[in-house]
Amino acid sequence: SDDKLPVVGASVLVKGTTLGAQTDVNGVFTLNVSKGAVLVVSYIGYTTQEVTVGDGETINITLQAGKNSLNEVVVTGYATQRKKDLVGAVAVVDMAAMNKQPVASVENQLQGQAAGVTVVTSGAPGQTPQVKIRGANTFGNNQPLYVVDGVPTTNVNDINPNDVANMQVLKDAGSASIYGARAANGVIIVTTKKGSGKVNISYDAYYGTQRPKGGNVYDLLNPTEMMALRRLAITNTATLNTSTPTTPNFDSNLYGPNGDVLPEYISAGGFGPYGIKSGDPEVDPSKYNVNPFYTSGDASGFYRITKANQAGTDWYHEIFKNAPIQSHNLALSGSTDQATYLFSMNYFNQQGSLINTYNKRYTIRANTSYNISKRFRVGENMSFSLTDNPQANQNDEGSAIGMSFREQRIIPVYDIMGNYAGSNTANLGNAANPVANQQRTANNYGIGNRLFGNVYAEADVLKQLTLRSQFGGEYFSGNNHSFTYPQYENSENGILNTYYENSYSGYNYTWTNTARYHQVFGKHDIAFLAGTELYRNQYQALGGSNTGYYTFDPNYVNLSTGTGTPTAYSNLSVDKLFSLIGRLDYTWNNRLLLNATIRRDGSSRFMNYTYGWFPAASLGYRLSEESFMKGISWLNDLKIRGGYGVMGNQINVTPANAYTTFAQNRFNSYYDITGSSKSTVPGLGQSTFGNPDAKWEKDGNLNVGFDATLFNSKWEISADYYVKDITDLLFNPNLPGTAGTATQPYTNVGAMRNSGFDVAVSTHHNLGSELKMNATLTFTSYNNKVKAISLGQQEVPLQSGRFAGSYINRIAVGEPISSFYGYKTNGFWNTQAEIDAANASAPTGVYQDGIGLGRFKYVDVNGDGQITAADRTNLGSPNPNFTTGLNLDFSYKKWDLSMFWYASVGAKIWNDVKWWTDFYSNFGGAKSRTALYDSWTPTNTNAKAPIQEVNGFSSSSTAPNDYYVENGSFLRLRNVQLGYTFDPAGLKKVGMSKLRVYVSGANLVTVTGYSGVDPEITGSGDNGAQQSSINFGIDRGSYAPVRTILFGVQVKF
Amino acid sequence: CKKFLEQPALGKLSTEQVYTPAGVDGLLIGAYSALDGTAQDNAALGGGSAWEAAGSNWVFGSVAGGDAHKGSDGTDQTAINQIAAWTLDASNGFLNSKWKAVYEGIARCNNTIKIANLVAGIPDADKTNIIAQARFLRGHYYFELKKIWNMVPYVDETTTNFMVANDQDIWPKIEADFQFAYDNLPPTQSQKGRVNKWAAGAYLAKTYVYQKKWTDADALFTTVIASGTNAEGVAYGLTDNYEDNFGAATKNNKETVFAIQQAANDGSNQISEANNGDMLNFPYNSPFRCCGFFQPSMDLANSFRTDAAGLPYVNDYNSHPLKTDQGLGGVSSGNSFTPDAGNVDPRLDWTVGRRGIPFLDWGNHPGQDWIRAQSYAGPYSPKKNTYYQSTKDTYSDQHSWAPGSANQINIIRFADVLLLAAETKVQLGNLDAAQVLVNRVRARAANPASYVYKYVNAANPTGGFTTETAANYVVATWPAGAFTAMGKDQALKTVYFERKIELGMEGQRFFDISRWGIAQQALAAYYGFDGQFASDVTGASWTPNKNEYYPIPQFQIGLQTVGGASTLKQNPGYN
Repeated sequence: SDDKLPVVGASVLVKGTTLGAQTDVNGVFTLNVSKGAVLVVSYIGYTTQEVTVGDGETINITLQAGKNSLNEVVVTGYATQRKKDLVGAVAVVDMAAMNKQPVASVENQLQGQAAGVTVVTSGAPGQTPQVKIRGANTFGNNQPLYVVDGVPTTNVNDINPNDVANMQVLKDAGSASIYGARAANGVIIVTTKKGSGKVNISYDAYYGTQRPKGGNVYDLLNPTEMMALRRLAITNTATLNTSTPTTPNFDSNLYGPNGDVLPEYISAGGFGPYGIKSGDPEVDPSKYNVNPFYTSGDASGFYRITKANQAGTDWYHEIFKNAPIQSHNLALSGSTDQATYLFSMNYFNQQGSLINTYNKRYTIRANTSYNISKRFRVGENMSFSLTDNPQANQNDEGSAIGMSFREQRIIPVYDIMGNYAGSNTANLGNAANPVANQQRTANNYGIGNRLFGNVYAEADVLKQLTLRSQFGGEYFSGNNHSFTYPQYENSENGILNTYYENSYSGYNYTWTNTARYHQVFGKHDIAFLAGTELYRNQYQALGGSNTGYYTFDPNYVNLSTGTGTPTAYSNLSVDKLFSLIGRLDYTWNNRLLLNATIRRDGSSRFMNYTYGWFPAASLGYRLSEESFMKGISWLNDLKIRGGYGVMGNQINVTPANAYTTFAQNRFNSYYDITGSSKSTVPGLGQSTFGNPDAKWEKDGNLNVGFDATLFNSKWEISADYYVKDITDLLFNPNLPGTAGTATQPYTNVGAMRNSGFDVAVSTHHNLGSELKMNATLTFTSYNNKVKAISLGQQEVPLQSGRFAGSYINRIAVGEPISSFYGYKTNGFWNTQAEIDAANASAPTGVYQDGIGLGRFKYVDVNGDGQITAADRTNLGSPNPNFTTGLNLDFSYKKWDLSMFWYASVGAKIWNDVKWWTDFYSNFGGAKSRTALYDSWTPTNTNAKAPIQEVNGFSSSSTAPNDYYVENGSFLRLRNVQLGYTFDPAGLKKVGMSKLRVYVSGANLVTVTGYSGVDPEITGSGDNGAQQSSINFGIDRGSYAPVRTILFGVQVKF
Repeated sequence: CKKFLEQPALGKLSTEQVYTPAGVDGLLIGAYSALDGTAQDNAALGGGSAWEAAGSNWVFGSVAGGDAHKGSDGTDQTAINQIAAWTLDASNGFLNSKWKAVYEGIARCNNTIKIANLVAGIPDADKTNIIAQARFLRGHYYFELKKIWNMVPYVDETTTNFMVANDQDIWPKIEADFQFAYDNLPPTQSQKGRVNKWAAGAYLAKTYVYQKKWTDADALFTTVIASGTNAEGVAYGLTDNYEDNFGAATKNNKETVFAIQQAANDGSNQISEANNGDMLNFPYNSPFRCCGFFQPSMDLANSFRTDAAGLPYVNDYNSHPLKTDQGLGGVSSGNSFTPDAGNVDPRLDWTVGRRGIPFLDWGNHPGQDWIRAQSYAGPYSPKKNTYYQSTKDTYSDQHSWAPGSANQINIIRFADVLLLAAETKVQLGNLDAAQVLVNRVRARAANPASYVYKYVNAANPTGGFTTETAANYVVATWPAGAFTAMGKDQALKTVYFERKIELGMEGQRFFDISRWGIAQQALAAYYGFDGQFASDVTGASWTPNKNEYYPIPQFQIGLQTVGGASTLKQNPGYN
């Protein structure tokens, strides 16, 4: 072959006959033919060659690698294999396609590129996307394990995507369980680049602009319409659903006695601005008195003067602006006989479309390897990154984004003196000025840095035996600084100034020692690997706050310059693993492929069951080598494979799970026993229950699949079906209240089952003499079902939102994780007669609490004749039925065009924004056009939204129901890129070997029926759990992905 | 390698470290700390929001009993709407939060008792005092559970399986704890916040009252009233100024029997120890900022109307309503308003914030400018839980989006004891003796020290008060023989009515009207009167044989499932 190694098992056929032979273990074949005969030599992964027999007795044939990827050598668990020899479910990522996306991290880029991997991203710079391999595997953290250059880690956020040479996703037990205790969520192997050839300098850069969605994104009413909606709601309340209709009272100190005059001012000294005109004494600017940076007291004495914005403020676009993005990457690499080297630098700067959010990152990398002697090699891979990435609160009703649909539009951004305007006057609701919220974060910052890498030595002590020792890991540290300004513009103002600062640092190391034995004899190719691995992880944090600052100048403010009571905290956590590893790879005659692995892990998180065994075995058979298949001309290669194994999980178990502990807690166990009114005495409470008997979670995984190469190697198909049975699932179910509130320990009580299909299809075609096309389609589906939560519990409530304590999603036995929960609606109550009839037949005389005209009619799910809490039901799941990605690459002469389409189908979204905007009664914030123009009235019974009223009822806005559940399917043109490569001949003169320029667009087309800003929702809106992988799909105002247009250049010298 | 994998818990106390004399002291403080039901970050002790499990019972006792509207606007904290209108079901989130917070209190008491008994080196007297305090607190926590839910599971220091059924009446257990405390606690304690013998006696007597054990109650009340002292040894009595029971500066006085201590600005930079559970209960768009909840009802306010003789309209108080700035058409803030000129009890103006009357030293209450939605919840603001402008830097805590305060949470104050004793006397037919006790309470109200006075200068409210009363206060004691003359039934009504106005907004009302069996008519009066103006309770009704108690939290029923069936049985009417 082209690497000058013998090709074993190649087929040699005399053209036009059935006479043939196969190459043996030394690549030798013998055939008796006459001169002039034509030999057809074919071998999987290589271009078929025809050789005419000449005079000599010996013919040397060198096979050329084909254009397909089968010979690609990929890195798997502690080994490298040819792609064609893989028997586990391994997705090999096409790095070229992946790297066309201008995003910060490889996790973002992975979306749609690997079958079996589901990635949900947001527009927030630096936010870790939600990555799941084959669905949810635990009730807690579902993040996969990343193995970067052989070093396990949970963080690849700051890996420079330009440095990545290849990525493989290990999906099943056969491929992943060699990572044992940390394999259950799947493993992603990342290998960084190495130098090769002569000195090579490349520069890659792009610059572009990101554009938030335009238009009235929440479909909100303008102030005039808002006034009309108020009249509608008051009229409905006074005249409908009441035993004694009254005359509507529209009186308002904002809109006047009839509630129909748009005011000129919304604030003039505080109260009752109705009727005040410019020039009136109340709005004399000399009376104005607002000290935006007050350091004592509160804002109640301020004299505010604020003009109404009668046209309506577009709050969304006051906080979402066009923002630039750029990346510059410089790499130097090369190799000699003795060494390879690569050095790279990257500057990445993404400004967020939400003002004052950004992700700035600087990375450098040095990868080198040295051949000390023929049998002894050493090397290192090391990267250092510096990241400045303040994360904005998002998908939360209290965030600036949340306020952008809650703050009334009649409120301008600023008052007459340029200070913030807000809801301070009556009738303007309780929302906060989103611009103020976000601008006040301008001086906040957080810097993180991380050194990540490894050093290794490798010795071939015998020809067949290689010993390797690798020490790798990371050291990281960072700090965050934020300042809370006192507020004055809103109806609910925080009045304290507070500065927070915290820092954190940690390290972990993995020391791996392996011995690998590899021998080929006859038709047998056998490789053994045995090893040990030691892991230690430590994390510590330190932080504090202070208040009472003399000035808010960021140059002055630090923890020691405040005059208030400083607070401080610190914590430390340590956990460890020790493992034994074994691996066997056996190939017979290029047909039968066997792989078996075993790992024994010991974890510091478990006490009485410290150790666990994780075995796996996979078998593959290359059917296409059988003679009966040889005749199928369109089939170049077909391999079937299957495997079963057990993976483990311990990621959710807290390090001190085994111990019963107590804690002193200032907030809930201290008490002012002396009656001082100003200080407390320390007390104690039980903090945790210990479970010394927790043991390994087991993830039994069966996988079957096939790999096929078809039609003259132009098509490749890889498909897998899997079933994962998770038993002894570690979960900390709620204890009954009678046990107190100490944290319950993780216990092996749950069970879950996942099944699904992963399919990848790729093809390459020459459509014309110079027009070529490559296409890759990936398809991912998973079906998740909870089998058990604990001995007694049938559900775990997750989020509740604004629904009187009724939760809107849950983990429930028999359902996919994180399913939505509430009442099913069936239209509205259109007539009083309908209501009376329902009540008359209800056992208690009331069919539904809060029953009334125009309110939701709930479905009596249990058929007991009335609506009770028992009629709540599953309203759908945020897990997609399937996701799919399509990469299309065209090249024509010097032009290239690529497209990446991504679709997610069947996921449901809980659109909680509608709770705020579609119901007049739900706080006095901004409302939607649906509320005014498409809500129930006696003459519009075929409406979208229920009747608009002053009060909320469980039949309208205070109970969770399917009004909020929408189909979140979408199809998106994730990326399109048009490039032009200059003629190398011309470039030589200026010292370049390659020059390519391109223009690229991201997210240019999105097709969706979802009514919110964007159907990609990463989180749940629960502060601190925004990226929770089991609590997601709830839209409380998401930071949507944006359209990006950019220009790029790639230069090589 | 085995050693390498050993990893002790970090930053936490191990059981060995807690099983010490100092550990036991700390556990007892922890048991006290759970009284307020709150924890970090405005959360309730077992999760949910702080106000869902407030030790003051402002929702479960006062809002549910008609003392007050929820307040704010229609969709804010809708779980309270359901409680106010008695449409709640077992899934109401407040139920679970309160349940968990109270059982955490019990868990802490049980740990204290269990560990105190195991630890060597605590002097016997100290050990007895510690265990008796813990048993008092456990009695209190179970009293909370009993009055809210009636049938609840009982766990003590010996319990290891927490799936306990709620199939037993726990009054005997509560009595046993208070009896032990009464028998073993010293009459005075080194610290004001600790419970003493007399607090235990009063609570034990209250336990008797709830069980209608009138004879036992009468004897014990007599002793407590005659001999009782607060923790500092000061004989129980009524403060001259009614208001002294509510402000932080005057707390822990001779009227304090059992109060939850709260501290402002305790160094935590949060308000978890500063009436966190009542943080919503301040006027809106006011110097208090947030949140316009807990608005006294018109029904309560009208109850303070007195006749020419200074006596209450026990039977028809709503026929003599107070003038408000709310009505058909309303009187908007810009217009002038003269407060009601009729006779009222001065306790009105310490209980109800109403327009034109000094709101402590914050200025005259401005009416609807401080109310989020008059048409939703009426014209009034709460007052007992507020703090003074002049001392706000000391006694208020502004470390959150709504204020905290150092006001104590009164669980039992001496006026409460007197009125429970009066009720007992009436039940035993001793009407004259009952009248003496009621009159002690009314005499304090009639003391001019308990009046609210006008400002010297309303524009400068911290500048002091005149001697001119803010309203026409006319209040008097019952004339000799009045109770006997009216007979037992009416005397009982009169005692009930005195409890309503003396203890208004103090978290007691619903539990009283429920145990008296008058909840249906009392709430009908409230829903009927207030419902004319405030839409939150329009058309509401209370259901007998069901709403006497709250439903067992559905979530807990689910958690206590063993082998497919729950060990918790739902209360009647809620299934």
